[in-house]
Amino acid sequence: MPNTDYPSLGEISAIQTAFEAAGYICTTRIATVVKLAAALEKPVLIEGPPGVGKTELAKTCAKVVNRPLVRLQCYEGLDESKALYEWKYGKQLLYTQLLKEQLGEILDGAKGLSESMNRLHQFGDVFYSEAFLEPRPLLKAMETDSGGVLLIDEIDKADFEFESLLLEVLSDFQVSIPELGTISAQSKPLVFLTSNDTRDLSDALKRRCLHLHIPFPSVELEARIVASRVPDLSQSLTDQLVRFVHAIRSLDLKKAPAISETIDWAKSLVLLHANNLDGSLVLDTLNVLLKYEEDIKIAEAQLPKLMATTTA
Amino acid sequence: MRNPNESVNQQSASSDQLLAFMQYLRGKKIPVSPADTLDAIEAAELLGYSDRALLKNGLAATLAKSSHELATFERAFDEYFQLAASTSAAKALADDEGTQPTPDPGVSPSHENMLPENTPDPLEGLRGNALFDSLESQDESALSVAIETAAAEVKVEDISLFTQRGQYVRKMLDALGDEALRAAAIEFEQSDPAAFEAVQALREQLRERVRDRVERAYLIHASAQTEDLLDESLSKLKLGNIDHSQMARFKRLMERMARKLAARHGRRRRRYRRGKLHVGETVRKSVATDGIPFHPKWRKVERKRPQIMAICDVSGSVAAYAKFLLMFIYALQDVLPRTRSFAFSAALGEVSDLFNTLPVEEAIETVNLKYGGATDYGRALNDFSELALAEVNHATTLIILGDARNNQADPRLDLLAEMKARAKQVIWLNPESTRMWGTGDSEMLKVRRHCHIAKECNNLNQLARIIDQLLSERR
Repeated sequence: MPNTDYPSLGEISAIQTAFEAAGYICTTRIATVVKLAAALEKPVLIEGPPGVGKTELAKTCAKVVNRPLVRLQCYEGLDESKALYEWKYGKQLLYTQLLKEQLGEILDGAKGLSESMNRLHQFGDVFYSEAFLEPRPLLKAMETDSGGVLLIDEIDKADFEFESLLLEVLSDFQVSIPELGTISAQSKPLVFLTSNDTRDLSDALKRRCLHLHIPFPSVELEARIVASRVPDLSQSLTDQLVRFVHAIRSLDLKKAPAISETIDWAKSLVLLHANNLDGSLVLDTLNVLLKYEEDIKIAEAQLPKLMATTTA
Repeated sequence: MRNPNESVNQQSASSDQLLAFMQYLRGKKIPVSPADTLDAIEAAELLGYSDRALLKNGLAATLAKSSHELATFERAFDEYFQLAASTSAAKALADDEGTQPTPDPGVSPSHENMLPENTPDPLEGLRGNALFDSLESQDESALSVAIETAAAEVKVEDISLFTQRGQYVRKMLDALGDEALRAAAIEFEQSDPAAFEAVQALREQLRERVRDRVERAYLIHASAQTEDLLDESLSKLKLGNIDHSQMARFKRLMERMARKLAARHGRRRRRYRRGKLHVGETVRKSVATDGIPFHPKWRKVERKRPQIMAICDVSGSVAAYAKFLLMFIYALQDVLPRTRSFAFSAALGEVSDLFNTLPVEEAIETVNLKYGGATDYGRALNDFSELALAEVNHATTLIILGDARNNQADPRLDLLAEMKARAKQVIWLNPESTRMWGTGDSEMLKVRRHCHIAKECNNLNQLARIIDQLLSERR
């Protein structure tokens, strides 16, 4: 049964137009996966080199469906108390201290230990109720009323055991809290996971996800992306710039410039009122594009060759 | 004019074909689970089967789980549907026909009209034979039905070896009723050469189709088994005997083994990381809050990172083994961080940097060039002591790979003893079989006394087993 929670994600061409309006140019492959994710209610695992717009895709998607974005940034040592929920330990403690006096009143007149216990039991687990529950991103995403977009960023940075924790959330859209029971999502959120491929993810996790690999874009696509993000840059300069970046990517670099760097570079060219890409301008601004000194040296050495490609 | 069930039929036909495609993918070493299959079918039904690029994208999203699988998937998709393209339409039709036993009478006459009128009368005797009729009229759907039925009858999917093709082609032809045509051909051979030619041409066509069908069955069902067989024999082959042509397959196999080990041991390391309540610290902190422990403190378990130092003999006799050991260890970077490697034949030097900056294979070439030559264990161990012995501690595992043949020179076992005293483990891997140890100039029997483990190691299985042990022991 196709999911009708996200009507704007029903048609591939409609997705492309809507995303483009939100400033994200997506290929048919990306649009297809987004459509499938909405229809099959499956999380999307996005892989690809840094800076190709993995995180941006999730953000744009939230914009397009006009729902809140809940983001969970992963890091080594991330555990359930940071990702799922936590008991408000301080509040619990404070309340027990404050209610100490009440205890006397409740137990007033009770005979013997068992009667006191029975009276206490009548109050149930007051300290383990939702009032003392601190929802963390995953639980928050389950609790949003009309669905939303959950972004689990850089899942490869989290520990292996955290992945297992995610499985329940990803396949059933529910969170089990031993003291309370199971909280399931009223309306299933769209889930995006991003990974920079620094390690292999578990098969169990992969199995639950649709898989999307975003590579570096083609020249035409990147030119379109730059044009939509930096509209002030002239058409010809955009073309030159993109071709230059593509030539740079073919060099053997420590870190190849990503789309985000291309956009940054385009923005700095606008700030500098450049209207043509020449050697000295490139030399001055190369540090926007390349983040390592050795890479800049390599590119400088190859500069004439790289410049030649821009006029093609 | 088409019946309303048609689209449903087509869909089930297509999903049958999808299932066959999954089988094909498994053969290409893309693991497709039953759950993946369901997802893929659901995705395909949602996207429709008409737009091939769209279908490919959708299936890729559900079936290819990593970027290298994606590349394999794309190749497999193109291969498979090219393979099946010519017959896929026919097969869909065949399944259609299969559900409607009465064939559409409108089809065959129109085809017959298109036939050139050079078929002479003698063939009249054969008309009425279903097989002959469908061959003569090129009735794709009827032929496909017949071929698929025959395929099911002889259980063509049981094919397991490439050499069985002929046998299965024969069986299928028999099941199709080629017998009658052959008898007719023999008859015509003497009496009517033209008719003979015509019948033979049709039979050749039929054989062609059947062969296609059998080969496809082989590709889909058996090539996977054959691949497994090849992998298995390769992992038992002496590493020194692996030649260039097998390198690509071998590398794949090794990476797969390394991934498996990494997955298994990566998990274990993390299980010992959970903290416990640090009572003392918590009580101390609670003093500020009147003894109420507002800020619980947790004991941290320090993660012991094991360190491996691999010392490899790269002289001619052992170089190949050193190459594989290093490749394997570096494929395990995930679970074996901070690996340092040293290479020697006479002099010894650290080569870790090479491995960190260059692709493994290139690094190995460079190492061979730089340190190759006649072996001198004494000097190598001495060099190592000066270079890195100070950094060997109780967390260090030393792996030494060499044949311990020292050309009658002093192997400096005193240094090895010192290394054993300092390190957590000293493992000596010898590519020679145990029987050869101690013969000629081999110092192996003396050497093994100064090692925690001394093992024969000359194929991938042994190598994987040793690394597996190594990873299991450390905590």
